[in-house]
Amino acid sequence: MENEAWTRERLDRLAAEFRFVVTDAICRSGVGHLGGVMSLVEIVITLYFRILNLRPEEPDWPDRDRLILSKGHAGPIVYTALAYKGFFPKSWLCTINRNGTRLPSHMDQILTPGVEMTAGSLGQGLSCACGMALAAKRDGKRHRVYCIIGDGESNEGQIWEAALFAAHQRLDNLIAICDYNKMQIDGRTAEVLELEPLADKWRAFGWETFEMDGHDWDDIHATLLRAREVTGRPAMIIAHTVKGKGNRETEGLVDCHNVKIPDEATYRRLMEGLECRFELPY
Amino acid sequence: MTPPAAPNFADMEMRLVYAHTLSELIARNPDVYCLEADLGKADASIPIVSTRHPANFINCGVQEANMIGVAAGLAREGKIPFCSSFTAFATRRCYDQITISVAYANNNVKIVGTSPGITQGPNGGTHMCFQDLAIMRAMPNMHVYSPADAHELRAVLFHMAATRQPTYLQLIRLKVPPLFPEDVAFDPQRARRLHEGDDVTLVATGYMTRFALDAARGLAAEGIGVEVLHYPSIKPFDRESLLASARRTGAVVTVENQSILGGLGGAVCEILSEHHPVRVRRLGVPDRFGEVADPDYLFEKHGFGPRHIAQACRDLARRRN
Repeated sequence: MENEAWTRERLDRLAAEFRFVVTDAICRSGVGHLGGVMSLVEIVITLYFRILNLRPEEPDWPDRDRLILSKGHAGPIVYTALAYKGFFPKSWLCTINRNGTRLPSHMDQILTPGVEMTAGSLGQGLSCACGMALAAKRDGKRHRVYCIIGDGESNEGQIWEAALFAAHQRLDNLIAICDYNKMQIDGRTAEVLELEPLADKWRAFGWETFEMDGHDWDDIHATLLRAREVTGRPAMIIAHTVKGKGNRETEGLVDCHNVKIPDEATYRRLMEGLECRFELPY
Repeated sequence: MTPPAAPNFADMEMRLVYAHTLSELIARNPDVYCLEADLGKADASIPIVSTRHPANFINCGVQEANMIGVAAGLAREGKIPFCSSFTAFATRRCYDQITISVAYANNNVKIVGTSPGITQGPNGGTHMCFQDLAIMRAMPNMHVYSPADAHELRAVLFHMAATRQPTYLQLIRLKVPPLFPEDVAFDPQRARRLHEGDDVTLVATGYMTRFALDAARGLAAEGIGVEVLHYPSIKPFDRESLLASARRTGAVVTVENQSILGGLGGAVCEILSEHHPVRVRRLGVPDRFGEVADPDYLFEKHGFGPRHIAQACRDLARRRN
């Protein structure tokens, strides 16, 4: 929950450590979705450490807030947050994408403690989040449902089906965040399939719509708090982010969606692209 | 005040049986939900469920993919959602949503495909789905049921609401003649033997079971003994009943209101070819799309009506003898 001790310096250090650990873990598996993982670091840290009401020792606590990562390929950054929150040992992180792992590339509610919903086939998680928010409404529960979608994912028609549905059902316990790093697998979103004017679209669909700098701690925190105050309609936060953020080798590069690490030299180059070094927790 | 007389389900259209039974299930367990994609009136859940249990009735509009996701989210929170649409839209239109959000995630969603196969009639080829048994059967974690009359439908619905199991149900919306008593039980692991005979095994499910039974009764008068096995569950599939019967008769005819590729006939052939190969004749729709037509026309065109069932049984029984 909110904690005054979360200074900018402490948050920066945690973000740098997350980037170091998650990059190492992905690199060890030989391939992974580095770009969309790195663009979410500040948002995921803010959610898990300052916003979400959770009990790591009791993952199924009925009154917990729910987070659904609809862009399920960014699973590794959520796994890092879950491990650092204590949902499972940090030593699991080096098994990401390895044979027999409980931390697969895409989110799996059966395998991973703390994962609320299986996601990875794009467009589906927001619909599931609607169902979870609706269940909370029907049961008179006060927890909230957060859902992170991607910008490329927003090409999917199902996202806009869910957008209609959530507004119609007045799901004001649903807060969605769009990781708008403006890149998808084949290129820039503006070139592959234009989303603009994105905020206007969500407003037109009946969502209270915010925009924020997805790497600015104060902006993220303040926007999430404002989104919690919305009543009568769902909230969409369009987070302006940078794909591959925080690594000189990936930041802002179109081709950093699914990075292959075929050899030691590539691994070393990617690790050296990061700001700081940390001791690995495994 | 005397309680209202119990409804006579055997005299109802199956869609009314569905809606009344779902309403009854919600009254017993408020976690049961009814989801529609703008076909609530066709399914009779409007007004039967929507007026009695408005909080448990969710009309998603014409968005089957989102309906499946919403249902998965509800199920994750402990609800028991029944999602209904025409078979084409309840299965093939949102096959990936069912695969990932329901089956792969093992979320307890019940999918109800209405007006299966040729019973779709006047809506024609765009709506007439012959693949739903096959594609739903191919999905891990998914049970697939196709009851044959009103009482069996009720037993199946009670079973679905009571079990934590992703399930696909084929729902005939029409009124169909009663086959089973009011207290008929449903066990997805068990086929029902509806007619005894030693000359040929006739395997049927759903809409086709009553035609199979009629054929067996007619052939008895000709001295041909037909053992009729009705499969209310295509998956899980009661392989032991099939094998025991095939060992005795040595010949098997299958009939389904579906494509002959991959559905009931496919399941039968998979089991027999591995465990007890015998001659099989699969009746149903060959590799074709549907069209605007009534059942009798389509029975004749595709060769799986009552007279074709009887002839196939005669052929196989004769070859054996």
